[in-house]
Amino acid sequence: MAMRFTPTEMTPAERALQAEVREFLAAEMPGGGADGSPDRALGMGAGKNKEFSKKLAERGWVGMAMPKRYGGHDRNAVDRFIVVEELLRSGAPIGYHWVSDRQTASVILKFGTDEQKERFIPPICRGELGFSIGMSEPDSGSDLASVSTRATRAEGGWLLNGTKIWTSGAHENDWFIVLCRTSPMEDGNKHQGLSQLLVDLNSEGLEKNGIPFLDGSPGFNEVVFHDVFVPDENVVGELGMGWAQNTAEMAYERGGPDRWLSAYGVVEELMRHHAGTPMEDRVAEVLGWATARFFGLHNMSFAVARMIDTGQAPSIEAALVKEMGTRFEQDVLLRLLEFVEEEPDPQSMLLYQRLLAKAILTGPSFTIRGGTVEVLRSVASKGLRA
Amino acid sequence: MTATDSTTDPGMVDELLVDSAYRLFAGVCSFEAVQKAEADGWAPAIWDAVAEAGFAWIGVPDTAGGSGGTLADACAVLLAAGTHAAPIPLAETGILGGWLLAGAGLPLPDGPVSVVPGAAGDSLSATLNGDGSVTLAGTAVRVPWSRRADRIAALVATADGPRVVSIAAGSGSVRPATNVAGEPRDDLDLTGVTVPADSVGTPAAEVTADNLRLRGALSRVMLMAGALEAMSRLTVEYTEQRQQFGRPVARFQAVQQHLVWGAQDAAITKMAAQVAARDASRDFGAATFQIASARTIAEGCASTATRWAHQAHGAMGMTQEYALHHLSRRLWSWRQEWATPNEWAVRVGRMAEAGGADNLFPLITG
Repeated sequence: MAMRFTPTEMTPAERALQAEVREFLAAEMPGGGADGSPDRALGMGAGKNKEFSKKLAERGWVGMAMPKRYGGHDRNAVDRFIVVEELLRSGAPIGYHWVSDRQTASVILKFGTDEQKERFIPPICRGELGFSIGMSEPDSGSDLASVSTRATRAEGGWLLNGTKIWTSGAHENDWFIVLCRTSPMEDGNKHQGLSQLLVDLNSEGLEKNGIPFLDGSPGFNEVVFHDVFVPDENVVGELGMGWAQNTAEMAYERGGPDRWLSAYGVVEELMRHHAGTPMEDRVAEVLGWATARFFGLHNMSFAVARMIDTGQAPSIEAALVKEMGTRFEQDVLLRLLEFVEEEPDPQSMLLYQRLLAKAILTGPSFTIRGGTVEVLRSVASKGLRA
Repeated sequence: MTATDSTTDPGMVDELLVDSAYRLFAGVCSFEAVQKAEADGWAPAIWDAVAEAGFAWIGVPDTAGGSGGTLADACAVLLAAGTHAAPIPLAETGILGGWLLAGAGLPLPDGPVSVVPGAAGDSLSATLNGDGSVTLAGTAVRVPWSRRADRIAALVATADGPRVVSIAAGSGSVRPATNVAGEPRDDLDLTGVTVPADSVGTPAAEVTADNLRLRGALSRVMLMAGALEAMSRLTVEYTEQRQQFGRPVARFQAVQQHLVWGAQDAAITKMAAQVAARDASRDFGAATFQIASARTIAEGCASTATRWAHQAHGAMGMTQEYALHHLSRRLWSWRQEWATPNEWAVRVGRMAEAGGADNLFPLITG
């Protein structure tokens, strides 16, 4: 069996980093929200706040694992895990730099040209460049290799045509990496002929159509390409190697604390709301069940980060954690509803009620975004057989 | 086998020791041997091999007649035992009963020790006599392998404070009973039994009823973690071999769900168990949260994982002739031992409540 989760623990330097982040957040978000705003958000569903992203970058907490020569900090996956865990549990507004920091910088560092590294990684590390994800299409979700967005040869570059969808943040972010077909499918081998292109979200011919999210919030988009010109220097890595690169990119999306902390803020706020009233046993039982699971998931996710730093490739372990973490996020909400008396209300005066409503309305996406649980089960079960 | 006490960090496990434990259990706990243990009520060959190697007394100081080593070592051996469904009172002899006896300055017998777990329905009480002997009354319930133990250790309350009593084999009257895995869990009516003064000890400071319960819970966490891991592996292997509709059933998405969920249950339980064992071995008093959390996780995972494993096995898993029941039936037993319904989840919840919202995340991340 290929599952290897070895318990790990923080070194004194890592503990110090954790304390430093906690201190920073306590100062930056005294009322629970950044910039005096009263609301904390839920995990990575947090809003975008460019100023906040910059402040984090000034502390060296964006692009931490990137090399210093590209404006990074030569830290590692565990350091990033520690910082991100604290940001997510606090509901900090990390939306602007989130994708850039989690995956795009790593993809460019791993596959990009020297010129691309010089051009994109430093501003990412300064918290000044927000990326979206250009994978899903109307007819390509879990079956991502079936993408039909096409790039055709033009002088000095490519002309892009097609449609991406469910593109979070396309209206506010700056760039995205688009998975597209650069040569026609041959002999039914759909994994060949795909490439990743760096595309400016403000390119000529690029149309952004907002799609209101279930809870009415903006941020979701359809992006249509009408002969969008992409210069040759924006091809990431090797032409035609898009599938392998994209698979590597998705590994960064899994196994992190963003996959089990989405409902955490509700638990903490509920405790705050009930502070001073002794808990009934049934409430303590639910709180204890959730706390124990958070403890277990924290240790698994931490172990995945440590594996990355010791040169292992924990993609199977990450898929396993994401599949269980996201189901847990949904289970937490159901268990809380066993004793919450007030109805969840997005407009409530009470923060926990607003957070609960937000969690209920966004909850179904936990097990869909970043790879559905069904796809993850298939990935993980292959690892079990190996 | 004697564990090395030289490691500076008591949270570190002696890997050589653990490797040899796995090898030994794999050798003696064959399907037939575990099966026979249930029919006979005892597995002398397994016990003798484990005792010979000294594994039963790991975590009990060698100065007290144990094998030395840390609590983390003992827990790692229990995990190995759980993997092989070892049908012997390993925790009872070592980190539970052995700990009670050694901590009260009482001698360890050569053979197995059992311990009174204070399970629901227990009515054991004790009176301290003027000559230092203790007279017992009532019934000790669910005492593992009491019929086979050389000594039964119990922590009892007396008017003069707590005492550890080392009850001789054959004391009182036994009502034989078993758990759902067919392992002896006897009820002992000890009314009128007097334990002589030389078998009564005053417990060391760390030997408290609560610490005994935490240790009991930790022992079940380790055993469950081992059994869950073995059950996940067995299920993956079986569904690879079993063919239906012209392909291995493991290739069906609906079956993959059972495999993945079972592997997750095993992985999170083992992770929590190992963290709890590590931290408890360093500073037991500072590991209550970890033990209670691991116990909460293990209990839930034992319930769900047995469901997934049985579903994936179909009718084959429902027979005595196939090994799944050695693991699943033990998991159904262990999930309820050293626990009342919701006890451990409520305990974690109370710790979270006491710390308050601001300290919840620090509690989770240690």
